[in-house]
Amino acid sequence: MRTRPLMTLHLSTAPTQDVGAGPDGTRITFPITGGSFEGERLRGKVLAGGDDWTVRRSDGVVELDLRVTIETHDGALVYMTLEGIRDDGASGGPYFRTFPRFETAEPRYSFLNRLLAVGTGELRGGSPVHVIEELL
Amino acid sequence: MDFRSLMTLQVSVPGARAQKVGAVPLGTRVIAPIDGGHFEGPKLRGKVLPGGGDWTLLRSDGVLELDLRLTLETDDGALIHMRSFGLRHGPPDVIAALARGESVDSSRYYFRTTPRFETGHAKYAFLNRLLAVSSGDRRAAGPIYAIDEIL
Repeated sequence: MRTRPLMTLHLSTAPTQDVGAGPDGTRITFPITGGSFEGERLRGKVLAGGDDWTVRRSDGVVELDLRVTIETHDGALVYMTLEGIRDDGASGGPYFRTFPRFETAEPRYSFLNRLLAVGTGELRGGSPVHVIEELL
Repeated sequence: MDFRSLMTLQVSVPGARAQKVGAVPLGTRVIAPIDGGHFEGPKLRGKVLPGGGDWTLLRSDGVLELDLRLTLETDDGALIHMRSFGLRHGPPDVIAALARGESVDSSRYYFRTTPRFETGHAKYAFLNRLLAVSSGDRRAAGPIYAIDEIL
């Protein structure tokens, strides 16, 4: 599969909401308070108000379900979702991979509606950073 | 981003069985039942069980959203649930040729999906802990997916 860089997304989060042990696993919600993104084709900020609804499964893998609105430097709003997994016990080191998706009504950025992407996540100083590449 | 080949999956989708639900609020919905298929890769091989399908939605911007759900059965008897979201779009003449059932070089259109797997079989539990991507090739008898694990 060939890919091309789309953006690096930095998120800042508020203290977690530890919902506890539910039927699907241990649920922890991360409120998103802001952040930024930057790539060759788009850059801007993350709006406050999204969340990452995570659940730790019985096999120890954490499922991510993130929804945020991002705003480009020139004022376009983009709705972004990100499904993924984080497996801190993977043999080759933490495995943190995601499937981002985008929706926008702004013609300048409508290419985002037509692509699939993959992300590599990591925690830097406790804050999530996702390096996102477009699937060509 | 590094990838490693996981499998090639060939799915049999008989066009005559397509269920054309029609114009729904989100677009044009067509459900394509699957009646079988097979898959083969370095770590697993087997067949596709009848009964899955691809719940497709043609959006207002001409992009076809794919929502494939099926069950794989390995040659040693493990059942694996697979679901895969995807997008397909391309130039109008290419999409029209595909709709007529013609073979088109898959580099002429965008057909990518993001498969995920679930299994209760210990030998294949590694599938529960990975994300994958695929390139699709739409043939008259059904799509062929080259599926890569994201490393």
